[in-house]
Amino acid sequence: MKKSYIIGAVVIALALVMAMHSFRSTLTSYVRVSEARVSKRPVQVAGIVVKGSKRYDLKSNSLIFTLREDGGDEMVIQYDGPRPANFDDVTKVVAIGKYEPKEETFAAKELLVKCPTKYEGRVQGE
Amino acid sequence: MNNPGLITMWLGLVAICISSICYGALCFKKESIATRSAARLSFIAFAVLATIASILLMHFILNHDFRYSYVAEYSSRDLPLQYLISSFWAGQEGSFLLWVLLGSWLGILLMFKARDMEPHVMLVYNLNNIFLAILLIKQSPFRMLSFFPPDGQGLNMLLQDPWMVIHPPVVFLGYAAFAVPFAYAIAALWRREYDGWIKPAMPWTIFAFVSLGAGIIIGGYWSYKVLGWGGYWGWDPVENASLLPWLAGIALMHGMILQQMRRKLCKTNFVLAAFSFILVIYCTFLTRSGVLSDFSVHSFVDLGITGWLVLFMFAFLAISLVLFIVRAKEIPVSEKGNNMSYFSREFGFIAVVIILCLSTVIIGLGTSAPLITRVLEKASKVSTEFYVDTNLPLGILMLFLLGFVPLMAWGKNSFSGLAPKLAWTLIGAIASGVITLVNGYPGMGVLLLSLFAGAAVGMNLFLAQRLIRKRIIISSAAIAHLGVGLMFLGIVSSSAYDRSEKVLLAQGDLRNAMGYEMKFQGPRFSREGKGVRLHLPLDVKKEGGQFIARPDIFSERGRDGQIKRFSHPHIRRGLISDLYISPVDFDPGDMQRDQGSHLHLTKGQKAGFHDYEFTFIGFDVSGMMGRKAAQDMKVGADIIVSYKGAEPINLKPMMIPGKEDDPLSRVRLPGPEDAFLTLVGIDAGTKTVTLVYQGREPAAKKQEKIPALIAEVSIKPGMTILWLGTFLILVGGVIGIVRRLPK
Repeated sequence: MKKSYIIGAVVIALALVMAMHSFRSTLTSYVRVSEARVSKRPVQVAGIVVKGSKRYDLKSNSLIFTLREDGGDEMVIQYDGPRPANFDDVTKVVAIGKYEPKEETFAAKELLVKCPTKYEGRVQGE
Repeated sequence: MNNPGLITMWLGLVAICISSICYGALCFKKESIATRSAARLSFIAFAVLATIASILLMHFILNHDFRYSYVAEYSSRDLPLQYLISSFWAGQEGSFLLWVLLGSWLGILLMFKARDMEPHVMLVYNLNNIFLAILLIKQSPFRMLSFFPPDGQGLNMLLQDPWMVIHPPVVFLGYAAFAVPFAYAIAALWRREYDGWIKPAMPWTIFAFVSLGAGIIIGGYWSYKVLGWGGYWGWDPVENASLLPWLAGIALMHGMILQQMRRKLCKTNFVLAAFSFILVIYCTFLTRSGVLSDFSVHSFVDLGITGWLVLFMFAFLAISLVLFIVRAKEIPVSEKGNNMSYFSREFGFIAVVIILCLSTVIIGLGTSAPLITRVLEKASKVSTEFYVDTNLPLGILMLFLLGFVPLMAWGKNSFSGLAPKLAWTLIGAIASGVITLVNGYPGMGVLLLSLFAGAAVGMNLFLAQRLIRKRIIISSAAIAHLGVGLMFLGIVSSSAYDRSEKVLLAQGDLRNAMGYEMKFQGPRFSREGKGVRLHLPLDVKKEGGQFIARPDIFSERGRDGQIKRFSHPHIRRGLISDLYISPVDFDPGDMQRDQGSHLHLTKGQKAGFHDYEFTFIGFDVSGMMGRKAAQDMKVGADIIVSYKGAEPINLKPMMIPGKEDDPLSRVRLPGPEDAFLTLVGIDAGTKTVTLVYQGREPAAKKQEKIPALIAEVSIKPGMTILWLGTFLILVGGVIGIVRRLPK
């Protein structure tokens, strides 16, 4: 039994070490647009979609739009993954990806919009 | 106090406290019939009061009593009955009430089934209900507004789906049921009945597993069918919140069986029961308190229940830990522990418990990442790759075990005895491997996953058919495990072999996408509730067959005044693969004239449109005075219109909220003969009216442009197998409940 405990502990420890490694490497932190432009790791930027900037580029098969941060800083986002539901005309989005200095765009791997199953705001004016 | 709902909830809290005090007395003192009756009666009173509170809320929703802010926030007059019912649990407050309600009903059943253990079990169970009742009073669905809004804000369009009507009750039934094995575990530690609790708690655990599982599966199905992003699982915190206790619950289920059959894992099962229940609270905390909702550098919303949820969690954690530590030495360790063979059914069970716990811990870590990293540095989130990368090896290991452990006997097994029976495992693995490789090498991990999933299907299919012929009741595990194998086959094929392309379809053009010939018939509009549905029918042809696909885009004005659009995919199901057509974007071209243009005006706002200038002065609610029945309530909009800078005139279109095409809602505009303005929507919250202009377009805009649709067309193999697998998991679970009911 002692031996099996050791083997079990090693297996579990190994799995957790692997998980921690994956945890660290896939971790993306929220940054400002200015920081995203120089970051070498994937990051997240948040802001609003500039009205009228959204278009679909059929050649690259991707969605392109301009994101404006609350400070006013703007960045072009290119996204070619599956489109989140309810993306059209949402106000706030979070884009996860990396800035490509050559194309001067932020290549997003993931787009987050407010999830519909989260509860929305409440009536004001009581 | 003229708020019957609130009074009912307070009375309910009092009743459950009395019940707890009586049960407490029974735990510490001698049995007394009077005290027991008092405890039971006050618990029944609690259940009755929870039911009354729920009936009241439902009554207010069905009768459009928008004085209640919850009713105004989540329902409206135009909702059909089923969505009026589901707006009961569309928001946080209502879903807490639902949780309490279901918990109270389960409690009555528990009370009469717990026998000797009743005082202790019910005391622990009641503590849970007290906490929930306090949360409910803190966040009451009966909060009242100081005014009576003419209409509510309606139900989120995405939730207006039959599956979303039943999803929350099923999930909360599972949540409520996880309190039962916990109550048993604590009672067992208290009473030193370290084995006796397993038998009565087992059917409850399986029940919690089935209902939470059904909730998760319904949620995934809804996501696939309604959201239009093409997937069914996104590792979103809200989804993970139900997955975590579920996985822990599956571990507990296996641990309990092992303890009952072989008297192993006696200590572990206490930990697992506490773990799964505390995860329910922890996940509620994660998703409800707002700690994750906006975890950016800015701030997070605190809805005022965070503190309670944290207290709730730590209280139960402390109770469990202290009691466990005090009793740990007494809990029996398996007598035959030292000679357990590695090649046995026992070892398979222990391995699967470890795998499931690891998976739970890892997913929990990922979901809590924003919380953990906030303490260390910047709030960060893990990407979905984290979940996939870490769970892939665990999944492979689990399916590997499922390919042969179900065949093994308890105790020692010899490989030579087992080998001949492994034909089915081998056939399953080979078949699945060949099919996978014919369709392209998917990478080592996924290949292994599909090999072992095939093996698990082969093995359990063989077992299931053999056991069903013997006695259907003993086939529960085989059926559920067959479902697990099929589900993983479906996951592999739908995620690794999903192919899609985006196409631009101008009206009338013939285009080819994913081997299908498609022709966009042209758009069609219909008014639905407060919004407009844009139908986008497509003629789809493939050699031999043809059909009409009907994806659509629904638009409505959201609470913040922004237009929200919801794309609905069209799914053509097939045994092997689904054809999934999702509208991505729509260009209306030149079609304004016949459809009319929507105008949205906020109070006091001046807006130019073509040759007109409109000003919305305010609502006229004189039509609502002195009327009782909702169907008579007319609301008018005072609008000042000026044509080409001429003398402005006053118009007042009227409408009955929730009713369409009232002649009074349409008024003639000054200027050209056939120009009309129709009032189609009002929103008291944002003080906005929606109007439709029908008339001539200015001549300058006349240029031919054809409506065009961009659609994403995908082929998703294995979806039918995936849903079949999940269904079998639940079927196996239901049979399992019956099988484990104490005789």
